[in-house]
Amino acid sequence: MRRSLTRYIFRRGLQSIFLVWLATLIGFTVYQLAPGGPLQFLDDNPKRTSADYDRLAQMYGLERPTLVQYLAWLTGEDWFAVLPNGLAWQSGRCISNADKCGRGILRLDFGRSFYFKGESVIGLIAQRIPATFLLGASSLAIAVVVGVPAGIYAALNRGRLPDHIIRFATVLVNTVPEWWIGLLLLIFLGGYLGLVPLGGMQTIGDGSLPDRLHHLILPAVVGAVGGWISTSRIIRFEILEVLNQDYVRTARAKGLSRRVVIVRHVLRNALLPFVTGLSGIFLLFLSGSILFELVFSWPGMGRLAVTAINSRDYPVMMGLFVISSFLGILGVLMVDILYSFVDPRVKYEL
Amino acid sequence: MAQDALRLPGQAAKPIQEVKEQTYWGAVRFKLFRDKITMAAMALLIFMIAITLAAPWLTENFLGFDPTDTNLRNRSLPPTWAVAAWPEFQHFASTCQAGGIAHCSWSTWSDVLSDSAAGVKACLTAGPGTCHWMGTDQAGRDVLSRGIYGGRISLRIGVYVAGLSMTLGIVMGLISGYYAATLVDDIINAVIQTLSSIPLLFLLIILSGVFQPGPEGLAFLLGIFGWMGISRLIRGQIFSIRERDYIIASRATGASIWRIMFRHMLPNVSSIAIVIGVFNIAGAIIAEAGLSYLGVGIGPPLPSWGNMMQGSLGNFTDAPWLVLAPGLFIFLTTLSIYLIGDGLRDALDPWVK
Repeated sequence: MRRSLTRYIFRRGLQSIFLVWLATLIGFTVYQLAPGGPLQFLDDNPKRTSADYDRLAQMYGLERPTLVQYLAWLTGEDWFAVLPNGLAWQSGRCISNADKCGRGILRLDFGRSFYFKGESVIGLIAQRIPATFLLGASSLAIAVVVGVPAGIYAALNRGRLPDHIIRFATVLVNTVPEWWIGLLLLIFLGGYLGLVPLGGMQTIGDGSLPDRLHHLILPAVVGAVGGWISTSRIIRFEILEVLNQDYVRTARAKGLSRRVVIVRHVLRNALLPFVTGLSGIFLLFLSGSILFELVFSWPGMGRLAVTAINSRDYPVMMGLFVISSFLGILGVLMVDILYSFVDPRVKYEL
Repeated sequence: MAQDALRLPGQAAKPIQEVKEQTYWGAVRFKLFRDKITMAAMALLIFMIAITLAAPWLTENFLGFDPTDTNLRNRSLPPTWAVAAWPEFQHFASTCQAGGIAHCSWSTWSDVLSDSAAGVKACLTAGPGTCHWMGTDQAGRDVLSRGIYGGRISLRIGVYVAGLSMTLGIVMGLISGYYAATLVDDIINAVIQTLSSIPLLFLLIILSGVFQPGPEGLAFLLGIFGWMGISRLIRGQIFSIRERDYIIASRATGASIWRIMFRHMLPNVSSIAIVIGVFNIAGAIIAEAGLSYLGVGIGPPLPSWGNMMQGSLGNFTDAPWLVLAPGLFIFLTTLSIYLIGDGLRDALDPWVK
């Protein structure tokens, strides 16, 4: 039993590594297929000449075969094919010091940004991950803390007012973009009533906890709405499912009180499947971060993605894609493993 | 004859009432047409489609503004009926900003409301070309006429995406359900698992940012990344019917795989497929709005509900109509689509109370 669990975790781990590799392949393919090539950002500069293209293409090693470029990006210039003429590159300039070259994404070097004048991509992303995590974790916490009791309450009062409120909220969330609700709340609560700040993570020069919470509250609450609704719906569905089971009827029949039946027999079994739902909600927050961060001027990965796209900063885009895929795959893996621990009935098959 | 023999003496011959057998689709139609909410939603959707189809005629004869006419003197004007009320509202907002919510001068609202009412009245009697009902955007274009034209793009994308992701999802679901627990099924499952464990919005903005597709290209992108849920659902349904007697019987009579899949299995999952397809249209409209708002969806000269809001990025508190108006279009359309989907879900189970 325990051995099969270890094997299951091992297999899921291998599968996840394969998925991450696939994500690097997808990212690199997009980069290669980009119309105008990876150096298209140069078109914005009227002074560039075709000699500049050639020079930069040589510096970045773009005239090498695609496969060599991919392997160099993946494993580093020093492990794989060194640039022609023994050159190595850093921040868009050729230098001869080989240990400062691209070290490959396996060693967490995603190259240098075009737009942010040669800053390292991993550094740019690392600066922004805490903000994204803060927002995502607060949203997740609000979603679970509000969503689970709401779902339980709706299921136990099926067909009455709380149930209708949740159904109504579901319709609302499915029919307007959530970021639009956020934008409207920001305009009215922030712009007109002055209750919340108009964006950002803190007032410049003031990093105190109350100030940070003041900035966090609206983005976190609006970001939680989607997760809250889907949590409530999953919980409600599961509870209604469990309430029809024979063992619940048996428990009632042998005279247990309603409270004991619900806490011991219903909730225990209904909350388990919710763990699998967590991975979906996690991905929702990771993806949703892009739009919420733009709306609330939140200095996280999502805003970096928008900047990178609009300035055709391909190294940053690829880095963001690979890292966010890695986080997503890791999240799904952890939820799967967690689930296999809490539910002894799970079958260890792929 | 038998009827005559059974008749009691003195009883007149009654014509035999023919009871028409109720077909499944007949029952669905009956239930659907009695559902008032769904009918109202249908009317709203037809209205939205009609105004987008009639956009050139409407903008020329009733609004008097071209959606692409820029006028830099008229940048970010409030709706014409609110020209008098807007500064009063801004005054109200500034009192709130200055003294906190306790010191808002709520009495300004009576002026705001009466001036708006007067403005609407004046606008209703004025001819075309004088009133911007929803204000103007950052380039001085009329927001209402852009909204009407934008519906052409947003609705088209919604329908295309639903069509593509439905087709892909149904075919993949049928195949993997039919070939369950074989290599084909494993491959399809692996693709689904891959696509559903990476944050797709990142991939979508990269793809649409790099390739800058038009409406059709964007619909293609949204479609090929939106079929996984449908496929999973269809697979589950197929899995539960694949060992039924009628499937085994048709296999025994030598029916081809395609015949079994499309003639015998598909009709049994069609009601679910229809409902998901309808919800998909709404989802695609919202997704398009998000991408265009980020600046990677539909490009600026073409109006779409998403990119109209993008213009509000810098000045949304000064020109809230740039956020409100397109969102209202999205809300009305997706709400009607969603309610129709909801009604269909009930109606397609016509014998369940």
